[in-house]
Amino acid sequence: MKKPKVGIFDFACCEGCQLQIANIGEDVLDVLGSIDVVEWREVMSEKWGKNLDIAIVEGSITNPHAVKRIQKIRKKAKIVIAYGSCATIGGVNGMKNNFNLDDIRKYVYGDSYRFFPTEMTKAVHQIVKVDYFVNGCPVYIPEFVAVLKAVLQGIPYYVPDYPVCVECKLNENVCMYDRKVTCLGPVTRAGCNAWCINNCNICYGCRGMVSNPNEKGAQDVLAKYKIPMDLILNKMNMYNKCRELG
Amino acid sequence: MEDLQYVILKKERVHDFISTLSKIQKLVAPVSKGYNNFAFEEVSSGSEIALKYIPTILPLKKFFMPQRETLLEFKIAKGTHAEPVVEYEPMTIFGAHTCDLAGVQCLNMVFSERPKDYNYLTRKNKITLIGLECNEYCDEYASCHLVNASFPSGGYDLFFTDLGDYFIVHVNTQTGDEIVDTTESFEKADTSHIKELKRLRDTKSKIFSNEVSIERRYMPELFDMSFRARVWKALEERCLSCGNCTNVCPTCYCFDIRDELELNLKRGVRYRVWDSCQLEPFARVAGGINFRKERSARQRHRYYRKFRYPVDRFSRFFCTGCGRCTRTCMAGISLKETLNELIKESEDRVWKKWL
Repeated sequence: MKKPKVGIFDFACCEGCQLQIANIGEDVLDVLGSIDVVEWREVMSEKWGKNLDIAIVEGSITNPHAVKRIQKIRKKAKIVIAYGSCATIGGVNGMKNNFNLDDIRKYVYGDSYRFFPTEMTKAVHQIVKVDYFVNGCPVYIPEFVAVLKAVLQGIPYYVPDYPVCVECKLNENVCMYDRKVTCLGPVTRAGCNAWCINNCNICYGCRGMVSNPNEKGAQDVLAKYKIPMDLILNKMNMYNKCRELG
Repeated sequence: MEDLQYVILKKERVHDFISTLSKIQKLVAPVSKGYNNFAFEEVSSGSEIALKYIPTILPLKKFFMPQRETLLEFKIAKGTHAEPVVEYEPMTIFGAHTCDLAGVQCLNMVFSERPKDYNYLTRKNKITLIGLECNEYCDEYASCHLVNASFPSGGYDLFFTDLGDYFIVHVNTQTGDEIVDTTESFEKADTSHIKELKRLRDTKSKIFSNEVSIERRYMPELFDMSFRARVWKALEERCLSCGNCTNVCPTCYCFDIRDELELNLKRGVRYRVWDSCQLEPFARVAGGINFRKERSARQRHRYYRKFRYPVDRFSRFFCTGCGRCTRTCMAGISLKETLNELIKESEDRVWKKWL
């Protein structure tokens, strides 16, 4: 079988998810052995510019230039993988959508703000069709490898549609709510093996919400633990603001 | 009570016994995780063990049916070839309460049904079980008496009961007998010890009583008339579908089987993982149809799988009264409360019929 030609692209993001590929460890040889990376700005100077089998896209879409660029990539690539929270759900860049866009531009660019057009932050699938999603901030390497295997086999990858609590419980962690700490695990999609909670941190909701969250029930739980609604909304919007754009 | 089957272990010898036991093979026992949470973990000395503990986060099923278990290794280059795999590890479990022993008994029945599950049965045969009696309730969430699991009824190799200065130990199997012989920590029990045990059991029978206001034998009937009860609808708004209740349940055994290839797409494994009827995708089938889409239907299913369906199939409840589902539920859905509400609603219905 011919190795698929892969391009790795970045939009608005910290590029940390690309760095995760270097963090794979020993398996990086297997991963790079199964694909042919032809463009990857972070690690190589060559540009490809031709058609691709797979485009791995990191980052969210935040200005008209990025919209055009992602549309071009989509046209050239048979398969598009949204890679990391910024790409899959908008991520922390979505916090921009809390403010008036002109105010934001003035704040960042001062008087020359007119030269820097901007748009509401969007996830990649809110602009072009996305075939595979690798959630997380940063991505969870075993899940990236699982997605890559699915792509190579030509089968779909289903992001778990149940909360992080499932995996957290299987790891026998003491529930954060028992420790009197607020955690977004109950409404956030699993697939990360409760990575943060395993390491005594809380879940920040970086993988996006489950498809059918029980909002009424979640409110009751917040009331039970005396957690104010706006606190949890703020926590939620840190990663999930872009969900409001549909 | 046959005297010969009993030995005693003095408290000052417990630590010796535990360290000797841990040298024979892997030993797991309840360990404190803080915040009144406990877990069965590997130990090598008595000081690590929490002898007084409420049911652990996960039940013993994590040893009997691991969360991820390889069943098959296969090759698909140049024709297909598959090798079955059985993963097991000899171990001793110390300190299992009667609710958890009942849980293992339920799993044994399920996996012994034809076609037999040899992966499970092989593993089970390598596990030595040492029980520990609850002299009183662990907390208000337990309902072990309702399901007849508050007193020991087999399913162990050795069974410890705390009688103050010493443990009286019931030797139930040859494996148990061998442990007594090799550890050399035990002494013979005499009639005074047996009397003490009887006295404790008498006291216990006053402490433990039906936690829900229904006689055990009427439970199946209650469920027969409750399929359309309002109680389930009320759970629709509360349940978060996090699957905690089934993951921590000692008798929930549903699993999913998946194939995974290596990156070279030439070799792979077939493995099984725990699954839960409470999760959104569990009953989703081809065409996008979900035959238990409502959370209320999923919760109802869970209760029927504990109190109604297994009665026909295995002649016992598949609830062991450990209370884990209640303790772990974020939304505070309580097993005892749900049963009490079902009883109340059915009474209303019966009364209305007569009025």
